[in-house]
Amino acid sequence: MPDLQLDQKTLTFVQTLVQAASMSDDWKVALDKFLIALRAEFVFDNVAIYLVDPSVLNLEIVHARAVGRGKAAEADAAWGESLANLVLARESVIVQDPSKEANDRMSQAYLLGLPLYSGSRVIGVMVFVRFGGPAYENAHVSLATVAEGWVSAILNRKAHKEIREQLAALQQKVQLQDDFVATMSHELRTPLGFIKGYSTTLLRSDTIWDNEDRKEFLTIIDEETDRLAQLIDNILESAKLQSQSVQLNMQPIRLDAIIRDAVIRVRTRHSSLDVELQLEPVPPIQGDNVRITQVLDNLFSNAAKYAAGSKVTVGVKRENNSLLITFSDQGPGIPKAYLPYVFERFYRVPGDRSSTGSGLGLYICNQIITAHRGKIWVESELDKGTTFYIQLPI
Amino acid sequence: MSKRILIVDDEPRYLRLLEANLRTEGYEVATAQDGVQAMDTFSSQPIDLILLDIMMPRMDGFSTCQRIREYSNVPIIMLTAKGEEQDRVRGLDLGADDYLVKPFSATELLARVRAVLRRSQIPEETGQARFFTHDDLKIDFARAEVWRGEQAISLSATEYRLLLQFAHNVGNILSSEDLLTGVWGPEYKTEKEILWVSIARLRQKLEEDPHSPKHIVTRSGLGYLMPPVES
Repeated sequence: MPDLQLDQKTLTFVQTLVQAASMSDDWKVALDKFLIALRAEFVFDNVAIYLVDPSVLNLEIVHARAVGRGKAAEADAAWGESLANLVLARESVIVQDPSKEANDRMSQAYLLGLPLYSGSRVIGVMVFVRFGGPAYENAHVSLATVAEGWVSAILNRKAHKEIREQLAALQQKVQLQDDFVATMSHELRTPLGFIKGYSTTLLRSDTIWDNEDRKEFLTIIDEETDRLAQLIDNILESAKLQSQSVQLNMQPIRLDAIIRDAVIRVRTRHSSLDVELQLEPVPPIQGDNVRITQVLDNLFSNAAKYAAGSKVTVGVKRENNSLLITFSDQGPGIPKAYLPYVFERFYRVPGDRSSTGSGLGLYICNQIITAHRGKIWVESELDKGTTFYIQLPI
Repeated sequence: MSKRILIVDDEPRYLRLLEANLRTEGYEVATAQDGVQAMDTFSSQPIDLILLDIMMPRMDGFSTCQRIREYSNVPIIMLTAKGEEQDRVRGLDLGADDYLVKPFSATELLARVRAVLRRSQIPEETGQARFFTHDDLKIDFARAEVWRGEQAISLSATEYRLLLQFAHNVGNILSSEDLLTGVWGPEYKTEKEILWVSIARLRQKLEEDPHSPKHIVTRSGLGYLMPPVES
């Protein structure tokens, strides 16, 4: 190994290393490119990188790469593990030569282990191996130390990215909860406001209302009380489903019959809703009658709310070993950007604050269908309509 | 002549509730379901008071209030579904005269409407002098006009009443309670937010530098006063 000098070749090499390390946002790709570039001047057969798992303080292998002899050993990084633990314990660079002459060249492992740092804290270990020598010397150690700095930087970048992602996920969760509280306070106050307003109107001692007005006001109070009760049910229901404590009462059910019943029910509340049924004869499945009914009621009530005036087509058919329910409206549709979130708890598509809704309905549907080992998903096209699909196993 | 009240709310059941109660008191009622409709209605007929909901499609209550205040001092009561302080203060900041937090009772509604309409009457001055001056500020009592130097200032009825309290008590400290009782009525005695926002708005209009006012001065812990003009 010649002495390292800052000649043109060295500079080009360093440049290649720097470029390789900063080439990709994906830390695995960056790491790989860096190690390949490193091998131009620093010969090794395998390299393994271990990170300290902060919860158990154990080393976990995160990257292993065989580039030279012994490619078969790529998956099995056991050759580096004991040295890695030693490096972690001593927090220093260790060069380890094979203890005795072995017949098999492959078992003569010359090892070089270096601690990886974040600041002054050891976050992991990098181990290089050459099978059958030559042994690692001081110049190698110096170069490997430089490499260690870059590898540490790549790994720190990875850690930062993960923390940023966790933070973003947490922020979104907090935001959803804040929105939920704001929405709930509005949703709960609306029926309460009517109940309070109309009852105090009837209680005014300075006015006498005629029978027609009285009946109208009392009807509103009655309906708004129901609305409030349903809202509270939904909130409790979603809390229960969140904690997964809902028991399904499984029995043979007929989806076509359940759909027909749901249509009859929805017509009592939304008499103008135009529903077309496309029900093929399907075998009964195991399911919870009450829960599946709840899902359909929810979808109907959404259609009446968000696609008012549009025709709703509900179908059921067999597809291999499952039944597929399709539920389509011809309403305004849901913008693509919002589609992935509609089944999340508390999520409401932005821009329809005027309609009532808690962001719980579709979440509840999803929990129920998932508990049936089924799947629910949605497709939508603006100005064309929205279709919900429910797949349930036979 | 009976007063005409414009109700703006996207919930038909609120419109019905407000209309039914207001009509029993002899008010005429016009309705709108969002801010855009409200602007149309307001510009096409005389309106004495607006009841304005906040959360509405198309144009919300805050924007509507702001737009109306660009050219009119008509009394506005905001209907807020959230009882949150920031919503109330924001409404008042934009020039609303009062607010009503949902849920409210029918009697509370009617009391607020009466109080705001009473305040919106320009008080008849029985005093001797027609004019009042305070430094560059001039009030013409007969015409209920206010001038800063050569510039006419547009005040809402409430702001004008508040200014009169000071003009009639130059050199005397007026407590928050005095002002709230005198201008808004005894039922508002504790609603300090309304007073703070109204004083701030009045200073915006009257003072050369609202941050170091010379017409309406704060006396910490005591109240406000219009200091005597040094001669």
